[in-house]
Amino acid sequence: MNNRKKMESPWIYAMQLSSVILMWVFVTGIITWIFNLLRLSIYLKDAQNATLGISLVVIPVFILLASVLTYVFIGMHKKTDEQQKNI
Amino acid sequence: MDDLRHDKDYTLYKPILETDKRFYIILLILLGVVAWAGYMYFRQLQTGLGVTGLNRAISWGFYIINFVFFIGISHAGTLISAILRLSQAEWRRPITRMAEVITAIVLLIGAVHPILDLGRPDRILNVFYYGRLQSPLLWDVTAISMYFTASTVYLYVPLIPDIALLRDRTHKFKWFYNFCSWGYQGTEHHKKVLGKAMTILMVIVIPVAVSVHTVISFIFSMTIQPGWHSTIFGPYFVVGAIFSGTATLLVVMIAFRKMYHFENYLKEIHFQYLSLLLLIFSIFWAYFTFSEFITGIYGNEPMEMNIIRYKLFGDYAPFFWGMVILNFVIPIIVLSFKKLKTIKGIFLTSCGVIIGMWLERLIIVVPSLTNPRLPYEIIPYVPSLTECALFMGGISLFCLGFLIFSKLFPLISIWELEEGRTEGLQEAKARLDSYLPNVVITGGNHYE
Repeated sequence: MNNRKKMESPWIYAMQLSSVILMWVFVTGIITWIFNLLRLSIYLKDAQNATLGISLVVIPVFILLASVLTYVFIGMHKKTDEQQKNI
Repeated sequence: MDDLRHDKDYTLYKPILETDKRFYIILLILLGVVAWAGYMYFRQLQTGLGVTGLNRAISWGFYIINFVFFIGISHAGTLISAILRLSQAEWRRPITRMAEVITAIVLLIGAVHPILDLGRPDRILNVFYYGRLQSPLLWDVTAISMYFTASTVYLYVPLIPDIALLRDRTHKFKWFYNFCSWGYQGTEHHKKVLGKAMTILMVIVIPVAVSVHTVISFIFSMTIQPGWHSTIFGPYFVVGAIFSGTATLLVVMIAFRKMYHFENYLKEIHFQYLSLLLLIFSIFWAYFTFSEFITGIYGNEPMEMNIIRYKLFGDYAPFFWGMVILNFVIPIIVLSFKKLKTIKGIFLTSCGVIIGMWLERLIIVVPSLTNPRLPYEIIPYVPSLTECALFMGGISLFCLGFLIFSKLFPLISIWELEEGRTEGLQEAKARLDSYLPNVVITGGNHYE
């Protein structure tokens, strides 16, 4: 694992950060869409309970997935920073 | 590079580092089929769904059959991988990666099929503009996007250590591997982070996978259409999905074992264990099929009986009995006898199961539409060349996706194998010690 110099490239870090941000943009998009469906069902008084039930399952799963990716990203880079300090 | 040639796992790096003529020939053939499918789809876009075999009564044909079929195949991959990892089955190590790749690629191909079924694909946007969650079609969109996200993340996270290995040990695609490895250094902290993330993902992926195929079945069972309105469709579809997915995993493993000489990694024992799973699911599938039909026959409802007769003795009888032979009779015969249960036998049986499960999807989708309750003039459904081309295109795209993946990443997890060599034995021993009762000698031959 001797590619420290290349890995520290700000471009690569920016790209990696963008991929995590993109994941959150995607998840936010899905959540907004689900909320819109929920709002519509309440407005039309049409299957509100089912819509609420589905939303309560879907939204946490998407947030959990994005959080796991973010946790991995932070976990990887946190240690690299500590290693840099040691060097 | 030079020292890599002497690495004990060089066979796993070889497909990435060396490309032979055979690869380019296969690539060209697959690209040709995909291009042909693309052209046929472009023609469908220009002229409308008239180029398909669909008609007024039969509005769901090949595209929806293939949608259910592909989504079904995708289910076994991540599910098998997650279950094997959670149960700490040591023989999982060379299998999990291929299983996860199947899911990610096939799910994407399957998800495109409902869009192919739309004469105006731009109308897919209506799902986002005017969608209503009381429709099972929208449950599908939600469930598939959830499963695709989960399985892609589940494929990516365990891939990180191998990407880091490629970054450090090869000179190919350096920038790409640098980007994808997320700065992984193989430290204890990094391993701990990945381990935790993988455990969370394994737990999420299993219920998500089961729920997705249940939701797929709801697009049929939530209607009151004879032949579709069934309470057991959810579990029936899940069992069928795992069954066809296991068969696909076996076919992929055997094909790549031969192509990339993975004989030392994918051993006879892996095929024996997986084929046992195939046999169990063959029996499960037969049980569900029997339950599905016996309740219909016993109820003797005229419209339901029309469809059952049509499937068992009518126009679709060859497909129905073909399905029974391929999904039940052959697997039982081949996989129950040691002499027949060779890698060749398992490969042929698995291919048969894949065809049989496609026939099952055909038998579910079409006969209910060819026997409508309304007095339609029935035009029998015959798939057109466009539908066949797009089906071939889907299969080629799957092979192409796998081939490209094999050129970028190892098809067998290198770090998991290494972990198995260094830590697996002690872990397994410690686990075994914890399972077995403590033996305390209290004197003489007496044990407590």
